[in-house]
Amino acid sequence: MGTLIGQELFKLVHKVGTWIAVGVMVVIQFAFIAGGLIYPKVFNQAGMITSDFVADSIIVFIMIASTASIIAMEFQYGTIRQLLYRQYYRSQVFISKLITLVIQLVCLHLIASLVTMVASLVAFPDFDWTAGDHLKNYALTQGGETLTLLLLLSAVLLLATLFKTNAAAIAVGFVGYFLVEIAGTILISLIQKWEWLKWLPFTMLMTSSQILTPGLKSMTKLDLPWMIGLTCAYTVLLTVISYLSFRRRAV
Amino acid sequence: MATILKVTGLKKAFGHHQVLRGVDFTVETGHIVGLVGPNGAGKSTIMKAVLGLIPTNAGTIEIDGQAVAITSHQALKQVGALIEYPGIYPFLTGMQHLTLFAKKKNRAEHIQRIVAGLGMGPYINAKAKSYSLGMKQKLGIAQALVNRPRLVILDEPMNGLDPQAVKDLRDLIQAEAKNGTSFLISSHILSELEKLADDVLVLNEGHIMQETSMTELETANGVLYTLHTVDDAAARTAITAAGLTLEAGPGLTVRQTTNATTLNRTLVAVVNAGINIQSIDQSHPDLESTFLQMVAQSKQKEA
Repeated sequence: MGTLIGQELFKLVHKVGTWIAVGVMVVIQFAFIAGGLIYPKVFNQAGMITSDFVADSIIVFIMIASTASIIAMEFQYGTIRQLLYRQYYRSQVFISKLITLVIQLVCLHLIASLVTMVASLVAFPDFDWTAGDHLKNYALTQGGETLTLLLLLSAVLLLATLFKTNAAAIAVGFVGYFLVEIAGTILISLIQKWEWLKWLPFTMLMTSSQILTPGLKSMTKLDLPWMIGLTCAYTVLLTVISYLSFRRRAV
Repeated sequence: MATILKVTGLKKAFGHHQVLRGVDFTVETGHIVGLVGPNGAGKSTIMKAVLGLIPTNAGTIEIDGQAVAITSHQALKQVGALIEYPGIYPFLTGMQHLTLFAKKKNRAEHIQRIVAGLGMGPYINAKAKSYSLGMKQKLGIAQALVNRPRLVILDEPMNGLDPQAVKDLRDLIQAEAKNGTSFLISSHILSELEKLADDVLVLNEGHIMQETSMTELETANGVLYTLHTVDDAAARTAITAAGLTLEAGPGLTVRQTTNATTLNRTLVAVVNAGINIQSIDQSHPDLESTFLQMVAQSKQKEA
């Protein structure tokens, strides 16, 4: 398994797109840092810092693209047979790709956090991490966003296993993301009418918001532990379905 | 000689279409085995099944005594393969591809050997997206061979290669076989396969129609003698009148197999008919003509 993960990481670090994505994320962070310095009344300092200067949203897009392409590219480039005819099983190949995605996600968060920490110390020296709930809010925002993102990525992965080209998988991933976001908003209003709808996975996209704003329970009709538990359960379920889809694919 | 690959009673259907109808064959250690057959005969299906890439309906596959199936891949540790077309990541260089798939032990040495063997030095550090079809094909072959596997499966390896590259590949395969690597190779370029293979498997209609060594095939097919006379029409009459059979075609060609008197009887018949013989050409039937003959016979049987 270590060999497979090493090979996946090798491919990831040798893709120019990986580094362009990181560069774009950092540049956007710096843009928002500059915005915060020039227009302090327009940009909410604490809000920007807890969201890693918008890096959270950039990470969502980077990870959707990575997740969509990590399997689809093997079919597009005809490399899937090379991966599968060796002593490894499809399950091992699939899991190694999942682990690689998680490693990429962690690295992106580490880079974003590092930029945030340095920027907050250098550009916003008045910002006191220890005052109020800054540190707690930062941790809850990052944790909640990651939890919701993993659910979203499991859905993207499922869609991606059905496609044979990178571009199609990524496009469907992005379109799916926006549709899911819209569906989530619509669902909240529908839950007020038909409460059973709360069990649908779309509701769990509100988990990160409910972690920060427990009052959202009145809209989602679910307690936070249920939200967190169901988010994890749906993530695992969609990932298992993705594996079954990957296992059945002809090579 | 030990058997590295043993396939027994292999059957495979895609929906209602039965592709393999009980395939049996073996590959011995250090042998180069050519797998030939018409399009759609099931060559790639056999190779995919041996590599545990597709489920089969019946039969067993063993590599070095270990079973191989879609859920049993341990034996594939010692296998290298190129199936249908090379899998290439356009964003990696040739060298990075080989580094990616080469085992850590003696990695640099193995990569160097294969790059030199296939003459890939001038472009090995260029991105694979700039490679021509032939360069990609060589890279695919290099990936299959880089870990010095005990069994190598190559599906149409000569595709897109220029004559020099074909020769380089032939030399490399023969050198590896001498060191104990076994090869199962399918190719439509039968003249090339003939130069390489020790054994031949002829696949048609989902069966192995013939499993033989190249030497046995040559012996069984005998030697062809083509006579050139001053009056070929009269010579043809004299030869057939003597009870001898001429090969199909316009020339006066007889085949001498186990009966070593055929040439002599032919010459006697022509000379006795008072026809002057101008020259005699000797040739061996090639794999291509043997293969075409078998397929034609199979079609005749069907008809």
